[in-house]
Amino acid sequence: MSNAVILDPADRSPAGAQARGVAQAWHRLRRQPSTLFAVVVVAVLVVVAVAAPLLAPYAPEATDFDAPLSGPTADHPLGTADLGQDLLSQLIYGARTALVVAGGSVLVAMLIGVPIGLVLGYKGGWYDRIGSRGLDIADALPGLMVGFVVIAILGRGMAVLVLAIGLVFCMNFARMTRAITLTERKKLYVESAHVSGLRERQIVFGQVLPNLAGPLAVQAAVFLGSAIKVEAALSFLGLGLGDDQPSWGGMLGVAAEHQADQPLMAVAPGIAILLTVLAFNLLGDGINDALSGRRTTGRRRTALLGRQRPPASPTLAEVRAAASAADGTADVAAVDAPPVATAPVGPGRAAADGDADDDRSDAAVLDVRDATIVADRPDGSTVTLVHGVSLRVRRGEILGLLGESGSGKSMLAKAVLGLLPPGVRLTGGSIRLNGTELAGCSERELRAVRGTGLGVVLQNPQANLSPVHTVGRQLVDVLRAHHPLSRRDARARAAELLDLVGVNDVQRRLDQYPYQFSGGMAQRVAIAIALAGEPDLLILDEATSALDVTTQSQVLDLVLDLRDRLGMAIVNITHDLGVAAETCDRVAVLYRGELVEVADVVDLFDRPQQPYTAALLAAHPTADADIDTHDTHHDSHHDSHHDAEVTA
Amino acid sequence: MGKLVAYRLLFAVPQLLVISILVFSLTYLVPGSPAAAMLGTSATPEAIAHVEAQLGLDRPPLERFVEWFGALLTGDLGTSFRAGMPVTDLLAQRLPATLSVVVGGIVVALVLGVGAGVFTGTRPGTLADRLVTGGTVLGLAIPEFWLGLLLTTVFAVQLGWVPIVAWTPLTADPLAWLRGLVLPSLALGVTGGAIIARQTRAAMVTSMSAPYADTLTAAGVPRRTQIARYGVKNALVPVLASTGVTFAILIGVSFVVEKVFALPGLGSLMLTSVIGQDFPVVQGVVLVTATLVIVVNLVIDICYGLINPQARPQ
Amino acid sequence: MTGTATGTAQGDAPLLDVRDLRVDYDVAGAAGWRRRALTVVKGISFTIAPGETYGLVGESGSGKSTTGRAILRLADVSGGTILVDGQDVATLGRRTPLAYRRDVQAVYQDPAASLNPRHRAGRALTETLARHGLGDRDERRRRAAEAFEQVGLTTEHLTRYPSQMSGGQLQRVAIARALVLGPRLVVCDEAVSALDLSTQAQILSLLTDLQSASGVSYLFITHDLGVVRHVAHRVGVLRGGELVEQGETRQVLDHPRHEYTRSLLAASPASHPEGREERRAERAARRAVTARAATAGATTAQEAA
Repeated sequence: MSNAVILDPADRSPAGAQARGVAQAWHRLRRQPSTLFAVVVVAVLVVVAVAAPLLAPYAPEATDFDAPLSGPTADHPLGTADLGQDLLSQLIYGARTALVVAGGSVLVAMLIGVPIGLVLGYKGGWYDRIGSRGLDIADALPGLMVGFVVIAILGRGMAVLVLAIGLVFCMNFARMTRAITLTERKKLYVESAHVSGLRERQIVFGQVLPNLAGPLAVQAAVFLGSAIKVEAALSFLGLGLGDDQPSWGGMLGVAAEHQADQPLMAVAPGIAILLTVLAFNLLGDGINDALSGRRTTGRRRTALLGRQRPPASPTLAEVRAAASAADGTADVAAVDAPPVATAPVGPGRAAADGDADDDRSDAAVLDVRDATIVADRPDGSTVTLVHGVSLRVRRGEILGLLGESGSGKSMLAKAVLGLLPPGVRLTGGSIRLNGTELAGCSERELRAVRGTGLGVVLQNPQANLSPVHTVGRQLVDVLRAHHPLSRRDARARAAELLDLVGVNDVQRRLDQYPYQFSGGMAQRVAIAIALAGEPDLLILDEATSALDVTTQSQVLDLVLDLRDRLGMAIVNITHDLGVAAETCDRVAVLYRGELVEVADVVDLFDRPQQPYTAALLAAHPTADADIDTHDTHHDSHHDSHHDAEVTA
Repeated sequence: MGKLVAYRLLFAVPQLLVISILVFSLTYLVPGSPAAAMLGTSATPEAIAHVEAQLGLDRPPLERFVEWFGALLTGDLGTSFRAGMPVTDLLAQRLPATLSVVVGGIVVALVLGVGAGVFTGTRPGTLADRLVTGGTVLGLAIPEFWLGLLLTTVFAVQLGWVPIVAWTPLTADPLAWLRGLVLPSLALGVTGGAIIARQTRAAMVTSMSAPYADTLTAAGVPRRTQIARYGVKNALVPVLASTGVTFAILIGVSFVVEKVFALPGLGSLMLTSVIGQDFPVVQGVVLVTATLVIVVNLVIDICYGLINPQARPQ
Repeated sequence: MTGTATGTAQGDAPLLDVRDLRVDYDVAGAAGWRRRALTVVKGISFTIAPGETYGLVGESGSGKSTTGRAILRLADVSGGTILVDGQDVATLGRRTPLAYRRDVQAVYQDPAASLNPRHRAGRALTETLARHGLGDRDERRRRAAEAFEQVGLTTEHLTRYPSQMSGGQLQRVAIARALVLGPRLVVCDEAVSALDLSTQAQILSLLTDLQSASGVSYLFITHDLGVVRHVAHRVGVLRGGELVEQGETRQVLDHPRHEYTRSLLAASPASHPEGREERRAERAARRAVTARAATAGATTAQEAA
């Protein structure tokens, strides 16, 4: 479950840690030129609308029968309408109409929609079932149609127009409010508020509503833009305000009639609408980004940096304090040891171990040397996620990669697979698979290795398989990527693979979708997919962490059986000491991107060389009976070793 | 599969029923007497009473509804107060133009939207992505009827490539029908395309960075296969949903755009009926468009069930 | 300080006495209209004495969290009684008495989710105190600060937002919130499962320290037998909504009587690689037996599709 921390949004970036809320949102907003543009346009618009009488050279409805449809002149920079009205003045007053109508209608929409959504989302049950059906039915009415009908019933006028457009959008607000309330209501903080005894009213308005404010602001900004479009469309059709009231849509209506002789008349009001709508849309995007701390471009880098937050992960001193607390010994003499991250491995076993020796002729399937992985930060600087780690895995060997969240263990695996997320790169060292260098390989070269050279099984069993394809289809596609097989032969081979990983009733299972598989079964399928290309190296990235213990032991035993039968090398990435103890031949311990030590599994558990490893072992609560004997065992060792290291 | 279709059809029935109740009650929402509203201030009390009797407003609502609904089931939507024609005939005259332009618009929207969405969604963060995504932001903001004005001004008025009044019924001349639809479909499809493009892009990015994408990549499935087979199919789920929404929006917008292209569609009929408060016609137009949207969403939901196995009833 | 602590007051009247508890869930049928009841907890009974920690272990779907939710009055009880101090709370109406909220509190698995992301950490405590009418503004702040110190945080943390704290710190805030009212029972639902090993150890020892200081009881719900051995005085093993075995922690874990407990223990990874080949062989043998039993027609706990 360590991914809960990893997937946190980038709210923990150092810049954001200082100030939150409005100040932080403003800080992010400033870094986005498009949002800044939007703010400027909206500000100009507001000024123009407020100061229209001062800015406009003429009254908007003032006619000049000497110069109807004049085209641009010195007196009328944008020309005149069919009764000689000044188009620039109309444009300026049009801003007023646009803002008032749009603002009013979004307000109406929120006043109607938000309470409906809150009730449906928070009450749930029958309220929601019937209410949602109502929303579905309302969906069948195109928004503009609602506007037409309201005007048909109530006639034209400012209040009617605002109501008509408000009704167009109120269902969207209701739907969004309902969806968010529904998600928020199920969150633990609402349950905690219940347990604290808070009143329903306090929970809805004090707890849920603040979390709605952001999305509502985004939606309001976007709908302000849409409302301006609807207002323009209705005015264009002559259903907006009275003909004497200047509006951009009305101006376009006149322009449409004089399309042939005055084609330029349509340009200015159209651009005014376009810019305004654009500004509101961009403002919405900007608020959204500022609130979620994410760029909409889909780059995962900021999310990824969330895991590198030095103040949040425990320092070594904390780890040791915890370990001694768990031991029940109050002795914290060793706490002030230098943290592993800054003074890493001494001339201990890790350096002397086979993982770093120079003998490349040895039959290592995977040989990683001095791998360094860095991530780009949005401000241009970089963070090092993995510092010069060296590892080797031989045929038939299971190497455990043990570490807590933020240790860089998964990044290391992704580097081997060539699947580093955007913004994260391998900057140094070499990664050799069967002697072939993978570092710096192109996508095409990597493809030759993937599947046949290595395969991977990731943590979340259901998400590892495409939800909309049958299991058979996915296996067949993988098989056919490696071998020139007919569909029928590929299916037969897929059945064999499923059988190999212990799935029963394979012919029926091949035609089923992933959701029809339990977690353990889905993970077996993922193993089958990884094995389809007969790889020399299998990487398990927390592959059993999401499973129940019974299922976990079944899948791990399957992995051990497969290793015995097929003889591939395996890298087993885990945070679980027990999993490492049960399955690995050797274990590499990682802490904050540094390799702490590598050792034979029995040696590591009996005689940890590094204080961090010892602390981890001491902090591990276990179900088996011999915990006490082991603990005393460790104590005697780790202190002496630790002293030796500090003096060295 | 048959079960899913049956379920969905079963849901469409109450939906249509509720819509027709809403539509029926429209006349009761008019402040004062709708007959007086229709006839204007100069109407005599006799004329008002006559129209009220014609609309059935002198009888109890329930009785009137049963009668109205019964007629509706036989395809009788009443008589237009202004045109003096059966509403059904009026709708039948206007529906082809509206359907043509909306279908044209949806085709443009899907081609532009899915194309741009897949293109940008498979290369997020690149310059090409930012340019095309910037284009979709513009596409969202542009008023369709203004785009229509610009298109006709340039291509019909200035260049003369297409006639200004372009509508030809499909039955009269299929080629001319198609030619006449090009500009309206473009004007209508750009915004819808932008909506679909944004959805598709987001769905593609999610789908291509999902754990199963990593699983397949690591297992050696080539990227092209992954995009074509896995990326697109997984992305289709949200795209379909946005297509349903887009369709409803396009019908509404077509009412505005048809004025620019002088199309004889439902929009101009609705416009004159709204201004003239010709309620039987307004009711008819609302019913027809709502039915269209419901049918399209029904088809979309069934497609959704085809793609997403979990959406099928077990 | 581990599970075998002898401070258990066995002779006292139980603080919590759960008898034949049954909980049904209303689940949606196809297309969302038809509903049917699914029994998640099938009549379980256990007691918790004052100052005692009772571990409830089970795999996903065993009903362990639902049991906790029923005791917290967040899930509707379909049958049986939940006696707290001899008073049945299962049959109370819709409203939960404030006094009950004071007595029974909760700490959840995901500390980040159990605090409102838009509120400063201290507000979770002051708001709770205000609801219970405890102290004026300054008094509430003082008590919140005190509670923060109790769980190893500083007053500086009071004004932080959840996103500015680590998982361990957040869990300390959650514990402070649970304890600020001076409850007699705290339901800890997978309270350390989302934490890194080192943080987990700190939180566990914090919980035991607080218990010896205040005499609070814990219902410790977890899937992790190691954690249970570490903190629980007594333990109950849940499977499919039924308690298959309960007793003194050491007794149950060292000398399991029920086959399911035995297989659970066999499946749990050991703390040391020594003897793992034997354990693997034992698991294989155990599976062969259940498979044979399954083919013989018996219904077993085989992993279902």
